Amino acid sequence: MILNRMPRPMILSSAGVGWQIARLMVTVLWLSFVMPAHATPDVSLLKKNGCAECHRLNPEAPLDSRKGPDLFFAGDKFQADWLTRWLQEPVVIRLSGFITDTGFLKGEPTLATPHPKLDLGKAEAVTGHLMQLRMEGLEDAPSAELNEPLSKGKRFKYKILFEREYGCIACHQSVNLAYQPRGGVSGPSLLSAGDRLKADWVYRWLKNPKKFEKRGRMPLFEFNEEELQALTRYVVWHKQSEGQ
Amino acid sequence: MRRVEVLKNWMMISLVLLLVVLCSACGESKTNPKASEAPEISAPQPVTQDASPSPPRVKTHPVTTGTRETYQWYCAQCHGIKGKGNGINAPHTAVPPRDHTKAEYLETRSDEQLFHVIKFGGLAGGRAPCMPRWGHTLNDDTIHALVNYIRELCECDYL
Ligand code: HEC
Ligand code: HEC
Ligand code: HEC
Repeated sequence: MILNRMPRPMILSSAGVGWQIARLMVTVLWLSFVMPAHATPDVSLLKKNGCAECHRLNPEAPLDSRKGPDLFFAGDKFQADWLTRWLQEPVVIRLSGFITDTGFLKGEPTLATPHPKLDLGKAEAVTGHLMQLRMEGLEDAPSAELNEPLSKGKRFKYKILFEREYGCIACHQSVNLAYQPRGGVSGPSLLSAGDRLKADWVYRWLKNPKKFEKRGRMPLFEFNEEELQALTRYVVWHKQSEGQ
Repeated sequence: MRRVEVLKNWMMISLVLLLVVLCSACGESKTNPKASEAPEISAPQPVTQDASPSPPRVKTHPVTTGTRETYQWYCAQCHGIKGKGNGINAPHTAVPPRDHTKAEYLETRSDEQLFHVIKFGGLAGGRAPCMPRWGHTLNDDTIHALVNYIRELCECDYL
C-alpha cells in the first residue's frame, strides 16, 4: 500500500538529483494531501452529534467557547470501556458543574445536567473517535509502577499525602475509612477515577496540568517524583467497578 | 498507527531535506498544526486598575478588578462569593474555610501571616491543610493584593 510510496533516504547521485527531488516533492505533496500532517483526527461524527457545541475538539478553538471539559486529548485521558458506558449512562462527575458554568460557585450547574445520552451503537462509534484524539509530545510516564496494585499499608500512607499534606480532599470527592463518599465538590469527583482515567494521564496532569488546562481552578503544585507516583496511584485506586 | 507515525516522520524529514536542498522560499508555508501552546493565561491576573474609593491608607498593592476576579476564580470555591466562608466546598472540609468578613479574627492576624498562609498553605502556617498553598499559582504581588482585598472584606486591620 502507501508504504512503498515512502520517500527513500536521500542518497543522491549527482546525475539524478533533479529528478529525485521532483519525485520526492510529488510524493510529499501527495502524502500531505491524502494524509494531513499529524493525521488530523476525524471529528465529523462528534460534530454531527453536537459535541463541539460544548467541548473543544482541538486546542486552537478559543478557550472562552467551551461549556464542558476539553476533549482534544480524550484518547490520552480516558479508558475506552468507561467512555462507552458513560456515554450511554452519564452520571455526574463535576458536582458543581464545569468550571466556567455560571452556576458553578453556587453549586447549581446550569449546563448539560443531565448530559446528552447516546445509544450503544453511537456510544461505541463516538468512543472510537474520541480515543483517536491525542496530544503531541507528551512526556513518558512510569506506567508499570503507576498501575501496580496498592498494598493496604501504602494506601494509608498515600491517603495521608492526599488528605493531610496536600488537602486534595477539600475539592475532590474521595472516600472515608468506611469507603463512603467524602470530600469537596469543586473539582471532578475521583470516586471512579480508576475506571475513568488512564494512570499515565493522571501522572502527567499532576506533573504539569498547564499542558492540559490553561485556565483551571486547581492550584498548581510542584511534586517530587515520589509524590507524583504516590498521588497518581492513590487517585486511580478509586474504583467503582470492583467492590473495594 | 505505527505506520502513520513512520510516515509522518518521513514526511517531516523529507520536507526538511527538501527545504535545505532547494533553499526555496515557499510563499505559503502551510503552518504545522502542531499542538501550539496557547498563550499562557494564568487565570484572571490584575490588569486594570479601577477607581474604587481607596482604602484608608496607601497600599503598595492596590486591590484591582483583577484581584477580585482572582479571588472569585480560586478562593471563592471555598471561601464563598462574598468571602463569608461558605463556598461550595465548605460543607465538606474538615475545618471550615475562614470567614474573610470577620474582623474579630482577622484583627489578630498580621498581613505577613495572611500572606504566608496564602503562599505556603494552611499546614505551613499552623493552620488546616484544606487551605491550599497558592505560591505556585499566584505571584507575590497578586498575593499581597489578595491580603489587601481580605482587609477590605473584613473592614479591619491588624491591631
Ligand atoms: C450542552 C453541552 C454539552 C454537549 C452538547 C455535550 N457535552 Fe459532554 N459534557 C458537558 C459537560 C458540562 C460535562 C461535564 C459533566 C460532568 O462532569 O458531570 C461533559 C462531560 C463529558 C465527558 C466526560 C468528561 C470528563 O472529563 O470526565 C465526555 C466524555 C463527554 N462529555 C463527551 C461528550 C460527547 C461525545 C458529546 C456529543 C455526543 C457531548 N459530550 C456533548 C457538556 C456537553
Ligand atoms: C482548590 C481546589 C482543588 C484542590 C485543592 C485540588 N484540586 Fe484537583 N482539580 C480541581 C479542579 C477545579 C479541577 C478541574 C480542572 C481545573 O479547573 O483545574 C481538578 C482536576 C483534577 C484532576 C483531573 C480530573 C479530571 O477528570 O479532569 C485530578 C486527577 C486532580 N485534580 C487531582 C488532585 C490532587 C491529587 C490534588 C491534591 C494534590 C488536587 N487535585 C487538589 C480542584 C482542586
Ligand atoms: C480548598 C478550599 C480553600 C481554597 C480554595 C482557599 N482556601 Fe483559604 N482557607 C481554607 C480553609 C479550610 C481555611 C481555614 C484554615 C484554618 O483555620 O485552620 C482557610 C484559611 C484562609 C485564611 C486565614 C489564614 C489564617 O491566618 O487563619 C486566609 C487569609 C485564606 N484562607 C485566604 C485564601 C485565599 C486568598 C485563597 C485564594 C487564593 C484561598 N484562601 C483559597 C480553605 C480554602
